[in-house]
Amino acid sequence: MAAHRHHPQAGLRPPRHAVDPRARRWWTVQALLTLSGPLLLTAVALLVLALLFFPGALPWLGPLLLVVLVLPALGYLLVMPRLRYRVHAWELGESSVYTASGWYRQRRRIAPLSRVQTVDTTRGPLQQAFGLATVTVTTASTAGAVRIAGLSDADARLLAERVADAARLIPGDAS
Amino acid sequence: MSTPWRTLDPRTPLVHCAWLGAPLGSLALTALATGGRLDTRAWITLGVVAAVFACVTTAGLITWRRTRYRVTADSFELRTGLFTRRLRAIPLHRVRNVDLTANPVQRLLGLAVLRAGTGGHGGELSLEALARPDAVRLRAELLARAGARDAAEPLLAAADLRRLRYAPLTFWVFGGVLAAAGAVWRVLDGIGVEPWRIGLVRHAFEEFGRSALWLTVPFALLAVTLLGVVGAVALYAENWWNYRLEWADADTLRVRRGMFTTRSVSIERARLRGVTLREPLLLRAGGGASVRAVAGGLGNREENRRRSVVLPPAPRAEAVRVCAGVLGEAEGPLGGPLGRSGEDGAADGLRPHPRAALRRRVVRALAWAVPLPTAALAVLGWLLTPVLLYCAAGYALLAAPVAYGLARDAYRGLGHGVRGRHLVVRSGTFGRETTVLERRAVQAWTFTDTPFGRRAGLVTATAAVAGGEDGYRIRDMSADDAAAFADAATPGILAEFIVPPVPR
Repeated sequence: MAAHRHHPQAGLRPPRHAVDPRARRWWTVQALLTLSGPLLLTAVALLVLALLFFPGALPWLGPLLLVVLVLPALGYLLVMPRLRYRVHAWELGESSVYTASGWYRQRRRIAPLSRVQTVDTTRGPLQQAFGLATVTVTTASTAGAVRIAGLSDADARLLAERVADAARLIPGDAS
Repeated sequence: MSTPWRTLDPRTPLVHCAWLGAPLGSLALTALATGGRLDTRAWITLGVVAAVFACVTTAGLITWRRTRYRVTADSFELRTGLFTRRLRAIPLHRVRNVDLTANPVQRLLGLAVLRAGTGGHGGELSLEALARPDAVRLRAELLARAGARDAAEPLLAAADLRRLRYAPLTFWVFGGVLAAAGAVWRVLDGIGVEPWRIGLVRHAFEEFGRSALWLTVPFALLAVTLLGVVGAVALYAENWWNYRLEWADADTLRVRRGMFTTRSVSIERARLRGVTLREPLLLRAGGGASVRAVAGGLGNREENRRRSVVLPPAPRAEAVRVCAGVLGEAEGPLGGPLGRSGEDGAADGLRPHPRAALRRRVVRALAWAVPLPTAALAVLGWLLTPVLLYCAAGYALLAAPVAYGLARDAYRGLGHGVRGRHLVVRSGTFGRETTVLERRAVQAWTFTDTPFGRRAGLVTATAAVAGGEDGYRIRDMSADDAAAFADAATPGILAEFIVPPVPR
């Protein structure tokens, strides 16, 4: 959990703790399953079809597929997990919980512990495979839910406990 | 001794007969259109209508027979169900709002639907339907147990015929005509009448094609506008007849309105987070505004939008006054300099946003509004007729200044500030909204930016509240000030994460 090398954003320093390094692999697999994989498959299918039935179309179809499907797919696959890993971070402060997330559009969210309603820990099948977990801290407002994805199991358990404890200790109205 | 169970009004099942009107009416129309000869399709429709009617009426009768309610010493209970008996109870002290509504048929029968909500999700009991006097008595009974106190200055606003002049400044002028035309078309289509087969319609269209178009087209547009205005005024009247906004007691804000369908919404003060002053472009041009409460416990987002309106389009000064009344302050956060139309960003006391926000808006407006339609027109003109080329040039010349003007207006609309115990946020050009939030209602802060925004030094801050739209955005504020402003508005939430200013 090294300190983050990141410029201050919106006058806020970045949260102290990075997420688990294995999150990079998790995001890569996610990218493959959701966006990059389907794009690459489409490109391959179109190429095979063109080879079989319209060989004449290859000179223009090849570059077109490369620019429209293959390059974006590879770019997303390679760039997104790295950027995400640089951005995603979390910190449990004295009175608030603070997270940073996103890769292109970046988001920093701060919710006071006095407003915490529930702390949920979820593990999807993919996350389980990588030993990761997501902790969601909810407040009464749907625009105020703090979600930290890509924590190691141990960190997640510890964080959930500490948030729950802190929320109990700090008096406040969770409405 | 237990409190006896009470039943719903015996007239309740009669209401189900009402929906017979539409299908029977359309069948009658069909019969008229076809000269009394009904085809197989019509007979099938009639059979289906009869069967459905039998089912619905039976279900209605059973529901009516099996529904019982009572108010005991500490709870409001409702028993329903034929095979699975269901008992629902809400503790009386949890009852937050009690609304009475009635659709036209229920009104005709002297009935009302009573809904008692706890403000939480799904915590609502509804009784459909009671005789109106019973419903009024029951509401008083329920609210009395909630331990209410009387308000100092109850009435905030009442119906005013002069406000009707703002009705044409709403979307419904054209949208309403289109919606009505669509509905008529579907009804005709549904009963098997093809409108273009009717001699009168075809004749009218042929005549229209032969007439002098430069005269008849503007005339038709004028007619549609007039129709829309009439429709908008009628809709406004139906929605806002007998309108009354008042503090029913010190802790309950109540809106009552409606001509045929009466609606009544109660908002608990503890769940009121603020107000939104809404000034859509047209209404703003006419010097009007409407007001919406930012409150929790009004249902999901959609229901919240519908039920939270506390003032229909009205003169802006009055809207500002109602805002202050809802917030419970003599001089509201929107009073003072902001009470003027707020055209000049700096003079109204709200902090303007950096010039980069203006650049952003101008670039976006020009990029979206000008090149694409111009190119489309030009390509069509190149392919079809040179007239369209002139249209393309004309469009570009006209759209660019309009887009620029709108972008400037959007920028002038941006502003944020702290007023007493409130946070004020303003943005928008087509739908300008000034939202006043209670500072201590803010649940969390979110700061969002993109690489472009970071380079321009802009960030969007979102204040989360429990109610209304949930998140209220301060768009494109200066990245350097964002955290400091949020910290000043809601002390204690983010102070520990702020970097101390570095001396340059």
